[in-house]
Amino acid sequence: MDWLTTVDHKKLGILYLWFTLFFFAVGGILAILVRTQLAVGENTFLANDAYNQIFTMHASAMLFLFIIPIWAGFGNYFVPLQIGALDMAFPRINALSFWMLPPAGLLMFAGFLVDGGAAAGGWTAYSPLSRQAGMGMDLWIMAVLLLGMSSTIGAANFLVTMFRMRAPGMTMFRMPIFTWTMLVTALLQLLATPVLAAALAMLFIDRNYGGAFFDPNGGGNVVLWQNVFWFYSHPAVYIMILPGMGIISEILPVFSRKPLFGYKAFVFATMGIGALGFSVWAHHMFTTGAVLLPFFGIMTFMIGVPTGVKIFNWLGTLWGGSISFKAPMLFALGFVSMFLIGGLNGTFSAAVPVDFALHDTYFVVAHIHYVLFGGSVFAVFAGMYYWFPKIWGRKLDERLGQLHFVFMFIGFNLAFFPMHLLGLDGMPRRIATYANESGWEPLNILSTVGAYIIAIGMIPFIINLVLAFRRPPDQPNDPWEGNTLEWATTSPPPVHNFDSIPPVKSERPLFDARQENTNMENH
Amino acid sequence: MQRSLKHIRLLATLLIALVLGLGSASTALAVQPGGITDEAHEMHDLFLIMLYFSIALFVIIASVLVYALIRYRRKNDELPKQVHGSNRIEILWTGIPIIIVIVLFTLSLITLASVEKKAEQNALTIEVTGFQYQWKFVYDLNDLGEGEFAEDGYITIIGTPANEPELVLPVDEVVEFNLKSTDVIHSFYVRDFLYKLDLIPGRINQFSVTPRETGVFRAQCAELCGVNHSLMRFTVRIVEREEFDIWIRETVKHLQQDQDNKKTVRVNEGKK
Repeated sequence: MDWLTTVDHKKLGILYLWFTLFFFAVGGILAILVRTQLAVGENTFLANDAYNQIFTMHASAMLFLFIIPIWAGFGNYFVPLQIGALDMAFPRINALSFWMLPPAGLLMFAGFLVDGGAAAGGWTAYSPLSRQAGMGMDLWIMAVLLLGMSSTIGAANFLVTMFRMRAPGMTMFRMPIFTWTMLVTALLQLLATPVLAAALAMLFIDRNYGGAFFDPNGGGNVVLWQNVFWFYSHPAVYIMILPGMGIISEILPVFSRKPLFGYKAFVFATMGIGALGFSVWAHHMFTTGAVLLPFFGIMTFMIGVPTGVKIFNWLGTLWGGSISFKAPMLFALGFVSMFLIGGLNGTFSAAVPVDFALHDTYFVVAHIHYVLFGGSVFAVFAGMYYWFPKIWGRKLDERLGQLHFVFMFIGFNLAFFPMHLLGLDGMPRRIATYANESGWEPLNILSTVGAYIIAIGMIPFIINLVLAFRRPPDQPNDPWEGNTLEWATTSPPPVHNFDSIPPVKSERPLFDARQENTNMENH
Repeated sequence: MQRSLKHIRLLATLLIALVLGLGSASTALAVQPGGITDEAHEMHDLFLIMLYFSIALFVIIASVLVYALIRYRRKNDELPKQVHGSNRIEILWTGIPIIIVIVLFTLSLITLASVEKKAEQNALTIEVTGFQYQWKFVYDLNDLGEGEFAEDGYITIIGTPANEPELVLPVDEVVEFNLKSTDVIHSFYVRDFLYKLDLIPGRINQFSVTPRETGVFRAQCAELCGVNHSLMRFTVRIVEREEFDIWIRETVKHLQQDQDNKKTVRVNEGKK
């Protein structure tokens, strides 16, 4: 009962985590169905119609119900702790943000029960296809609108919390990197999500009240949908990855026992990505023949620069460190190496003439999964292993964690690397089946095997969770020798978060405190 | 001792994964077909430049990563030197990527200008209409490029999922395509052109290519267009000019036998 009425940021954070992990599982099951269908040519495991619904809901669940809100979950729990605050600025609004999610998830998945089935136009819902679809599409629109509202008010809450509630001494440039990335993410959400809401409202009007925003016969413009949709959804890609980068940038220093290399450069690179993120949306539209190609080409190339700076700063952090390979670190290193590939294969699409071949093929599917799975999902698990002792006072088992990592790392590359080759060989994305003569079967089988290995890899993780919850909480304040304020309080923290806050004189208050202690002991 | 063994094993696993990754990455070289049009050849060259750059960057960065992981693994409790960063290095690794992306962008711009060149006035022009869930190809007999044909009229080929249509083109000539759609967005994608362009209701998109190889090539719709999107397949058959002219004449004759109407419709019998 307490969980239903709570306005405590930590409890809401935990609710977010469970809710989003649930939809990660749902989205994962849908992905397994997709990969099973595509394993062999001319497969009849799923009908075309069912396939379209399933891949659409896979993407919608993963993006809107898992990745975007799980950062709000980690953010909810850790932003107030990292800046030494008692709670979020608006605890009730915070609860409202969370409680919009379950109805949205229900609405979206209720599509499977209505006539015509769930939304089947891809998570991009391109009009006019999305104008034709059945009622599942309306449910999808309403669900995404709700989720958008949740993340907009959540973003405002995060910004006010960060601007107004920092502990004494916690200047902006002493804020932990995870908090910084949440700040830029919140800005993107605040500026971009209303555009998505407008787009969805237009689509809803077109579908239900005879509007013609996207109908050329009524004076509308088909490509307009893509412009407004990607004006949100490209920044949304950064909404989905920046907090993950933040988590990695907390973990690499702790397990290298060094500060983050180039803290300020990293903050500016994050802002750079956020700002440039608003000027690259039409690189999703190079083949519409309706966009200014050179402009969006150069901007897309440019966004590779701050992204590269981040990778170099991570390497600089490892360089000369004292590196231990604990489970959080394994996932963080997995992130760095996979995100490197996800960054490099993304630049191919910035070269417009190369994109003419690659656009809407499996090469792009490989790219987004290297960014959002190799990147974001690895960061989610890095964060889980890293912060688990803080949230629940228990440690996840290292050995099971290693097993989980090895399965995921191998399965991931097996599932998604072949997609590059399929795309280059001309396999379009979003096809329910392919001809036997196409020659795409061997690589698809490989990819499906990879997907199954990822699924198997979740078993040690689930066992790990179950075993951990059966143990009594035994973790000290700071099991990893952390740098940031969340490690200054008990595990789990009390309702009021801190009994006392150590002085903040740098971006690593806990490191400073440890140094002072050793100095005092030596004297 | 056992601990460090475990770490080394882990690092070895990472190394092997890296080598495997690299191995598969380089097979990508062989996978993208070189293309069969002038435009495709240029775009393929650009693709290869991007690929070499990416592989080089990946090898350098991944090697540094693996080296750092082995070299700087934790050996004792001593705190390493607390380096906070270096402005000089930051400027270096911001500046070099800027130069690289400007070079790559410039190269891509040159290729873009070249492949987007407009066809000459009298090029063979084909109107392509996408519909749920197939293609319609229309040849205007007054617009056959280098070939001449005495009569007015059109050849119209309409495909069905069961009878995939065939688009016949002459080799070594510029062909211009006008793309239209009557229902939703489709995308005209021929793998061996290394090119696709969307068919959008309410607008006409144009592009032109010069095929340089004869043969039969598979193609299909590349923009999700509904339930049977995956069945919107067709083939492109590229033939010598003489064979193309014969094909035109025979097709027209065939049609005139069926009906007197100048505006003729012919449903393709499917793959030959």
